[in-house]
Amino acid sequence: MPEVKKKTKEHESVLVLLQEAQEKFGYIPEDFMANVARSLDISLSEVFGVATFYSFLTCKPLGRNVIRVCKSLPCCLKDAQMIIESVESELRIKPGETTTDGKFSLTLTNCVGACDKAPAMMINDDTYTDLTPGKISQILKKCK
Amino acid sequence: MMWMDVENITLTINDSSVSGREGMTILEVAKENGIDIPTLCYIPELSPTGACRICVVEVEGSRALVAACHTPIAQGMVIRTHSPKVLETRKTIVELLMASHCGFCMICEKANICDLRKIAADLEVGLPRFETEKRFYQIEDVSPYVQRDMSKCVLCWKCIRACREIAKKNVYGTAYRGFDAKVVVDCDQPLNKEVCRDCGICINYCPTGALTRPKKLGEEKKGKPLVISS
Repeated sequence: MPEVKKKTKEHESVLVLLQEAQEKFGYIPEDFMANVARSLDISLSEVFGVATFYSFLTCKPLGRNVIRVCKSLPCCLKDAQMIIESVESELRIKPGETTTDGKFSLTLTNCVGACDKAPAMMINDDTYTDLTPGKISQILKKCK
Repeated sequence: MMWMDVENITLTINDSSVSGREGMTILEVAKENGIDIPTLCYIPELSPTGACRICVVEVEGSRALVAACHTPIAQGMVIRTHSPKVLETRKTIVELLMASHCGFCMICEKANICDLRKIAADLEVGLPRFETEKRFYQIEDVSPYVQRDMSKCVLCWKCIRACREIAKKNVYGTAYRGFDAKVVVDCDQPLNKEVCRDCGICINYCPTGALTRPKKLGEEKKGKPLVISS
């Protein structure tokens, strides 16, 4: 059996670099990925693969407030679909889209670790739990 | 060299005792003993991935079926490669692959050399029972050397490994996740690389019609013209 190729140190630092870019620019620009690939001597497709695998990394610019509604099973059982729909109707955007004023982006995400208080969503770094469609408009109004 | 010939691990495959060397996989031992286990993603000279799961076998004492291509043999293993449970599972796996495969064999150029189609025929997989979403992508015909139709891709990763480990070009990578997973070039750009010139290794390894050589119309006109008399 041929030796299984070990991941190198270069591969390990990709994620850290991408996270830094995400924090700095709000998304990961293509030039940045190209630079990472060049400086670590790995292919651009590998860097792009890492960037698209994680739902907290994004390759296109997002709005100021990123709403991530949990789509995992516990939240789904507690009617997360209702939450998604009420956010959709409130902002008039679908998951994966950004409002025209650049204020909100809506994405779906996997478990955010708040299953005991499902359904849950995150806006930027804050978690909102025990959601009901009624609570949504209040929460969104508070966001700048 | 004597020590190379020492066969130190004995195991049972399909009720007959066979022996293998340390570090061999179940698939390799089975092959040596003339037992055919179908695979889609296995390339003998490259690192195993266990992506397609078609080579699953039953190992006594193991909780689940294991993939033969990346499971090393151990002393006293009892393996069944074609038990009813294995065949049933294998058939379902192929059915699932076929269900999300675009499946237009009638108009596929590689239909007659397609590994997926061959395996499906061997296992007598008819029309898939499952109605799943299918992936459809635009055909990438920008490159004069390789044409890609990712709708036909079954994600065996052979092209990635062949390009990375044999050709040493490292053109492909995997991106996205779950159902959206896809073999991409750079940031999901259509393949158009000059390094693909004089290579085409990935085309030969592709088990489906996802990777093909771009068609040259002149090639088709070679030979005698077809005359149909009434």
